[in-house]
Amino acid sequence: MPLITVNSIIKEYETAHALRGVSMEVKKGEWVNIMGASGSGKSTLLNIIGGLDSATSGDVIIDSVNIEKLSEDELAVFRREKIGIIFQQAHLIPYLTAVENVMIAQYFHSMADESEAKEALQRVGLGQRLSHRPSQLSGGEQQRICIARALINSPELLLADEPTGNLDRENTKMILELLKKLHSEDHFTIVLVTHDHFVSTHGDRILTMEDGHIIRDEPVNDLRS
Amino acid sequence: MIFEAKLIGFKEGIKICLVWLVLYSYLLSKERKELIKPFYAGLALSAAAAFLSLLLPAGLISKDDAGNIISMSFAAFLILSGAALYHASGVNLFFGKGDVRSGASAGILVISGSLLFFLPDFAGSVLYLQGLAILKDDLLMTWASACAGLLIAGIVFFSFMKFYKPYRLGSFFGLPQLFLFLSMAKLFGGGIKGISELSLIPSVQRGFMKFIHDFIHQTFVLLLVPDHPILKKTAWDFIGIFFGAGFASAVSLLLLLSLPALFIRHSLFYPLPEPQGDTNASRRRIWALMLSDRRKKALPVMVFMVFIVAAWFSYGGEAVSKIYKPQPRPLAADGGIVRIPVKDPAGDIMDGRLHKFSLFHEGEVIRIMAVRRSDDSVSVCLDACEICPPDGYGQRDDHLVCVYCGTPIAVDSVGEPGGCNPIPLSADVGERFITIEMSEILKKWSFVNSVKTSEGVK
Repeated sequence: MPLITVNSIIKEYETAHALRGVSMEVKKGEWVNIMGASGSGKSTLLNIIGGLDSATSGDVIIDSVNIEKLSEDELAVFRREKIGIIFQQAHLIPYLTAVENVMIAQYFHSMADESEAKEALQRVGLGQRLSHRPSQLSGGEQQRICIARALINSPELLLADEPTGNLDRENTKMILELLKKLHSEDHFTIVLVTHDHFVSTHGDRILTMEDGHIIRDEPVNDLRS
Repeated sequence: MIFEAKLIGFKEGIKICLVWLVLYSYLLSKERKELIKPFYAGLALSAAAAFLSLLLPAGLISKDDAGNIISMSFAAFLILSGAALYHASGVNLFFGKGDVRSGASAGILVISGSLLFFLPDFAGSVLYLQGLAILKDDLLMTWASACAGLLIAGIVFFSFMKFYKPYRLGSFFGLPQLFLFLSMAKLFGGGIKGISELSLIPSVQRGFMKFIHDFIHQTFVLLLVPDHPILKKTAWDFIGIFFGAGFASAVSLLLLLSLPALFIRHSLFYPLPEPQGDTNASRRRIWALMLSDRRKKALPVMVFMVFIVAAWFSYGGEAVSKIYKPQPRPLAADGGIVRIPVKDPAGDIMDGRLHKFSLFHEGEVIRIMAVRRSDDSVSVCLDACEICPPDGYGQRDDHLVCVYCGTPIAVDSVGEPGGCNPIPLSADVGERFITIEMSEILKKWSFVNSVKTSEGVK
């Protein structure tokens, strides 16, 4: 049974069509990359799947819940319980330490637990950087805090929008290896948006978008071969 | 429309609505919505029984009796609340026998509880309205006004409910909190004396104060026999502090607050079970819900505590200022007999108020008092008791008060010896005069610790 089912999603703005009837499915535990050029609609699709934006028409069903039918409050609860998100920008709170930045996600989910937050940072290799503020950390380290923060509430679905867009190749590899390790241990589902071919070769499947349509759906292995 | 009757109806209406709201919210949160029907049945039975009480012989239940029953039903709910708290703390008060969750037994409990809650209040209000109807000489208008008040309360309440459905209130109430709410609803919405008494605070205050005072008093009486020399020394004034209204009132307030304080302690600190969940996040979520739940349940109790303290002091201040102390009228003995006119231009003994008289004998002033009891008999006593310094008595509302120690004395018990009661005198109460033997007065006065008062040596 798929975790995500997207049915004929259309997203229209006043002057443009971002999505023109997109349908797709993502199985539970699958890692799906969405590739495409700028303006192809991949981030819009990710935002709609994450409940950050709504579609003009169509349905998005996640874990048997049609999120297009949820109220704002219900959607907030749904996001809090089910979804973790990583963006290209870290969006960390500059005056909080690494561990506090993770704890704030716990606080909005249920309650803060410092030892659990520390453990999560140790898992992403930041055990020695717990008390550092974002400005004292590199871009790769900041992104690792974001991963810890996104996964601290055990979401079933991790959405990543260009998570390595700001990183050099070394840090990109490190982040992807980390995601791979966590994905294999925790079995959450990943939908990752990228324009980088190297990034898209990680995971199970690649959807390629162009002008608001999915034009290709192929397994990563095929691409590698 | 008769304003007082309308107010009584409004008060009862608001009380019904609030109790319904909290009970319904509680039952919804416990998924026992079906138990609202027994509540309606209990409410209807209470109303019917209250109206049937009109058929009882006149005077069988006085307003004082009704007030006392209402106070006792308040105490019953307060005790039930404590018992439920004790039960919730892990002690099975049902000894594992019987399942109150089953439909029939839970239904019977709800009907009984509703009767216990509403019947005394309804009966008291009906009694009051009956008296008001006689006073106003308009039975129909009195009842119409009461019904109008009831209707207004219902309209106000349900208009509010139409815009805002606060059923989530249920999460603030466990069974102990529910009983505590019921007792508080009774405490603040009780009383049967119309506009002047919308609260049970004064009567509860009196009851508690009497209990505290009697306890301390009897302890001292046991420890120090009444004719012990220490009773005639200055130390007695210090001991007297423990009899004072302020002390007794403070201790009474502490007693009343002790149960809510236990609630707060239990609500905030009772050990939570280890949460079960697949992930840390789900366990954390369950833990957070449990913490939130117990904090929520502490909140109404905190609100009650603030209300109790505020009401206690506001009513306490008002009650203290209302003591009536009449000026003693001089008497003289004639041939070993003292005569008090039952009715003369200076006063009417049968008017229900306290009357005091003074008798000068061998350089000492002997004080005598008389008061009519509810059965129209007259009690004649010395204006002093055997134990406290002889400051005498005053009158507050429907009872006497010891001026020295603040103990409330029911008028109907005046004339009976012992405790804090004034020393009774054997008197012959006739149509025109009350006649007392001078020898009787002197004999009884000799018991009185006559050399001192709380204000100094006489």
